[in-house]
Amino acid sequence: MKCEWRQDVSLYVDDELEPARQQEVAAHLRRCAECAAAVMEHTELKKAVRIAGRQFSAPPELRAGIRESLRSADVRPPLWRWSFIVLSIVAVAVLGFVLFSIPRRINPEIAELVDQHITTLASASPVDVVSSDRHTVKPWFQGKLPFSFNLPELANSRFTLAGGKVVYLGQTPGAELLYEVSKHKISIFVFQARGNERAASLSNHNLAFTVNAWSQGGLRCYLVTDASKEDASQLASMFQAANRI
Amino acid sequence: MQDCKVSAGGIELGRSNCVSAIAFRGDVSGLPNQDFEILALPLLDPLYNFARWLCGDADEARDLVQETFAKALKGFASFRQRTNFRAWMFTILRNTFLTSRTGLEWRRTEQEDEENFEESAVTHDTPEIALIRRADTEMMQQAIATLPLAFREVLLLVDIEEMRYQEVAGVLRIPVGTVMSRLSRARKQLREYIVVTLGVKHEM
Repeated sequence: MKCEWRQDVSLYVDDELEPARQQEVAAHLRRCAECAAAVMEHTELKKAVRIAGRQFSAPPELRAGIRESLRSADVRPPLWRWSFIVLSIVAVAVLGFVLFSIPRRINPEIAELVDQHITTLASASPVDVVSSDRHTVKPWFQGKLPFSFNLPELANSRFTLAGGKVVYLGQTPGAELLYEVSKHKISIFVFQARGNERAASLSNHNLAFTVNAWSQGGLRCYLVTDASKEDASQLASMFQAANRI
Repeated sequence: MQDCKVSAGGIELGRSNCVSAIAFRGDVSGLPNQDFEILALPLLDPLYNFARWLCGDADEARDLVQETFAKALKGFASFRQRTNFRAWMFTILRNTFLTSRTGLEWRRTEQEDEENFEESAVTHDTPEIALIRRADTEMMQQAIATLPLAFREVLLLVDIEEMRYQEVAGVLRIPVGTVMSRLSRARKQLREYIVVTLGVKHEM
């Protein structure tokens, strides 16, 4: 005679019963030798199938091939894509400035300085003299520029000096000084004043960057930054104060 | 092999063996290919094994697994978290198999056999524990190989891959009831194979 519980045996062995039912069957197995034997047989068969059925493992060349195809699909994105994104942003920004600056008649010198500032940001070595010490940076320009200037003391301010390099604007050499304020970069460009010029008019320019320009003591100075206007004018006035005679 | 129900990073790994669970440490929000690799590579052996049992041919199984990985990688973006990754991979493999030469051949011929599968006149209600214990691995492999494919795949997914009936039903796109009936017929046929084979040997 077949025990009425027998239909649950394979479900029990396959762990497919509800927990409560599983316990009931377990209790029944202690009483019913027929079902206990059936469970044991099922378990043995299941075990034998599991051992015999795990017969094949992937050949090494298949594993290597799949690994390779995953890697080759994977190698490009991280580095390549990121540098591509950065380059496109820079390219779009530069192109944007070029396109915007022409019809709106932004002083071409200013546009060029903004470009120079962006180029500096995008460069792997943004400055040629790397120092936060103004007494290192200023002497570095000696012999490289036909004029000199002073750098402001930055102690107790939020600004830090990153360094500087020589730049050219309209065939005349000048200094680009790179500052940082809360992760934003600020370029200050210093050139020799030309006799017959006025300070460039900067009102109503449509640049995404803040640009300040001033003339003092035979120097033409420009400040370009994506930092706030407040930070820009604060550094500008510190610079002006340092060069006041 | 000990069962362990594993769920990590929002992805239900199912009742996988613990080895593949340990291999998974990733957070699913990272690089998609890396996540895919972490999830999929531990399944390579099980998928290949299953493919070999489906195709019966090493070259075809290799192509099948390769195609499965390619399809899965492509579709990984659309793979929804919280669904069972292992079952998803097996589903892709099985669907790919159905469109393969062997798979098409099988769909044309063997599925009819399965419906007309005749219940053997011999019924073995009494447990054959001793006989099963005497059956060696080679004999068991032969026994599994003689099963109709429709039975074999259910048996392999339940007993080797330790999938729930529900998962098997999902992978094979058949009702759970069909899973259960195919499973019980597969096991019955295995027992009969063992009894007959060992019985014949015994008489000889």
